[in-house]
Amino acid sequence: MDFSAVGAAASEALTLASFIGIGGGVLLGYVVGVIPGLSRSVAISIAIPMTFYMSPFIAISFLIGLSKGTAAGSAVSAILLNAPGEASSAATSLDGYPLAKQGKPKTALQVGLIASVLGDILATIILIFVAIPFARVALLFGPYEMAAILAFALVFIAGLSGGNIFKGLAAGGLGIFLGTIGLDNQTGLPRLTFGYTELMDGMPLIAVAIGTLALSEMFIQSEKLRYDRENMSVALKKDSSDRITWPIFKNILPTILRGTGVGTFVGALPGLGPSVGSFMSYGMAQKAAKDPETFGKGNPKGIAAAESADNAVIPAALIPLFGLGIPGNVSAALLIGAFAIHGITVGPLLLRDNPELLYSIFAGMILASVIMLVLGWYGLMVFAQITRVPPHVVIPIVIFFCLAGMMLQGYGTFGLVILMAFALLGYLMKKYDYSFVTFLVAFIITPMLELNLRQSIILSRGNWEILLGRPIAMFFIACTAIALIALIIRTFRKEKPLADAPAD
Amino acid sequence: MKKTLSAILGATLLSAPMAYASDWPTRPLTMVIGFNPGGSTDIQGRVLANVMEEFLGQPVNVVNQPGGGSAVAFTRLKNTTPDGYTFLFGGTTALTFTPIITPVEYEIDDFEYLAAVAIGQNAIVTSAEQPFSTFDEIVEYGRENPMTYAQQTPLDEAIIMAIAEQEGLDLAIVPTGGGGGMAPLVLGREVDFAYSGGTHAQYTPTGEMVVAAFMSAERSPFYPDVPTLMELGYDYSIEDYRTIIVPQGVPDEVKERLIAAAEFASESEAFINITEGNTFFPVVFIGQEEMEENVRRIRAATEEVMAN
Repeated sequence: MDFSAVGAAASEALTLASFIGIGGGVLLGYVVGVIPGLSRSVAISIAIPMTFYMSPFIAISFLIGLSKGTAAGSAVSAILLNAPGEASSAATSLDGYPLAKQGKPKTALQVGLIASVLGDILATIILIFVAIPFARVALLFGPYEMAAILAFALVFIAGLSGGNIFKGLAAGGLGIFLGTIGLDNQTGLPRLTFGYTELMDGMPLIAVAIGTLALSEMFIQSEKLRYDRENMSVALKKDSSDRITWPIFKNILPTILRGTGVGTFVGALPGLGPSVGSFMSYGMAQKAAKDPETFGKGNPKGIAAAESADNAVIPAALIPLFGLGIPGNVSAALLIGAFAIHGITVGPLLLRDNPELLYSIFAGMILASVIMLVLGWYGLMVFAQITRVPPHVVIPIVIFFCLAGMMLQGYGTFGLVILMAFALLGYLMKKYDYSFVTFLVAFIITPMLELNLRQSIILSRGNWEILLGRPIAMFFIACTAIALIALIIRTFRKEKPLADAPAD
Repeated sequence: MKKTLSAILGATLLSAPMAYASDWPTRPLTMVIGFNPGGSTDIQGRVLANVMEEFLGQPVNVVNQPGGGSAVAFTRLKNTTPDGYTFLFGGTTALTFTPIITPVEYEIDDFEYLAAVAIGQNAIVTSAEQPFSTFDEIVEYGRENPMTYAQQTPLDEAIIMAIAEQEGLDLAIVPTGGGGGMAPLVLGREVDFAYSGGTHAQYTPTGEMVVAAFMSAERSPFYPDVPTLMELGYDYSIEDYRTIIVPQGVPDEVKERLIAAAEFASESEAFINITEGNTFFPVVFIGQEEMEENVRRIRAATEEVMAN
């Protein structure tokens, strides 16, 4: 490790500007997390245009701080409202809400917070120690390996996101189709641009992301308003006995460590979102407990297991991102877009050419965890109040940010029309149960996949035997084939999908 | 009271046209950059904007309008009011090359080329670990072995194809999607040699990458020993100038002010330090007359290359 770069990184992370940027990200994430219906990827897609005016380091740290904040904040509504702010906090409400009902809302919130922060810091440290050697190995990956891994990630994510292979193919196929729009990267000839200069660099990512993720979600939410149930938020009272104590902490610590492990493992694999991590961790904690029957009735261990895994997934998902430039989920895919906007290519060369930036981001991530602890601890009362903000106030504000974010892109009215088209598409996909996660990931991966596949075919001069000397590529091609076969078998057996991977 | 007011009003009305030249600009300006933030054009443009601001006495705001290698920005620039308050800073390939292969809604005559402040760099690079390091060695190696080349634009591909044909090389050409994609291919020796539009500045100081030849018309002062393709006997070059460009029809006094600001910038230490020190682009000052001629000359030469 380059220690002068580490020192420089630490000093960059500790400037006032970065405190404001990262702190602002965490705070915003917390608020978004608390509000049910506003998910992490919604927040990131809306926030990317806000980072245009920040330095690359602050921009990325702001977005990562935002992700972390949503993971911690979503526990608040899961515990007080029994309505998780994120799908991944659904496991938290299993024990969080009962414990709050028993008159211990503050204890539940504090357990959730401590588990979130610890899971977060530990997973960030693992990221730092894994990502660096991994990026060194990844430098050996050429176009063959990249093409194979990208194909695998695409099939794997498709397999996890929806049960039906036909709907998955339709969603993925549409994503691939839209991903091929723009100038051909070798001949420079326009493909499917219909004469629009604006489409030369492809469908604008921000329009696709904000449209299908954020704006369409607001349509769904406003529809739900009609059936809105009354607000049943548990109120926080002054009760000195309602707080986390040393025995409780000692009791949940092993659960937190296990949850962090599970979350890190799940996060590092492409395609498995935080929901898989938190439910897996919850299940393992229940199995390992001496009193499994108390789970679901307000056991603090249940909260700790779900929250630690939920938060550990976020830094872990950056391992394939920083190592290979491959997104593990939608949030990470949006981060690639954010890096690109700031002129940085994510991948193994990032560590070599921009070590200061990478170390600064790591330092920023640790800082974000600390800010999260302070904000969460002293702001509990305030955040608890946010659970009472009615959706008819939230929805118009979010729609405003969606449109403003698109305008900042500089596409003018054209951008707004495209945005609306994608919002409609996202709405229909959600209504008719097509996986928009598969769609988006396919859209984002396609240009990379196309380039690497073309390079492989040209460099090998069409000779398949070259793959025999490429064991890593062979391995991932085999994995892709297995995943595809498993997906087909599952469709015909009509089994349930592994998990409802949400848009994170 | 009424009298003085009308007197002031009259004076202002009278003096307005006379004061125009030296008073311009009276409000903030917009510099359009046709690429994303962070690239060499953006880095140079932002410093240039700061220095021009110093000279003009009004803020110069930078706006990035990426897309189609600046084609999007030029399309928009054509349709802005020609008052000089909006101008573009960037390379000239979107005019000398892009219209040849892509249908675009603008042409060379839609704009005026006020001043160039830096010369674009077009290099042929290879890894230091390859058995060849000069362009002659590449050609010699290629006569015996099949080789691979990573392109970034159809123009550099066309030139290399022509040379390969002339020298009898068996060459497979892959796309890279830009300098960021080129570097790992060259450093990982997945390809034998590649085009670089400036990315090499990052890797030659560490000794990992070698510049075999320049496609530019002249040698780079930063690599004085590396010859150009022209010097090696191939009649091809890619020329690119980082230029201040306005839509046709800007008043002469305004153009003069912008040109003076560009000249001021080309002598400014801050601009020279960043452009030469960080991006390895030589800083120059080329006036409007010469630039108008350059753009049309390069376009004609490029059309000839692409026609083959």
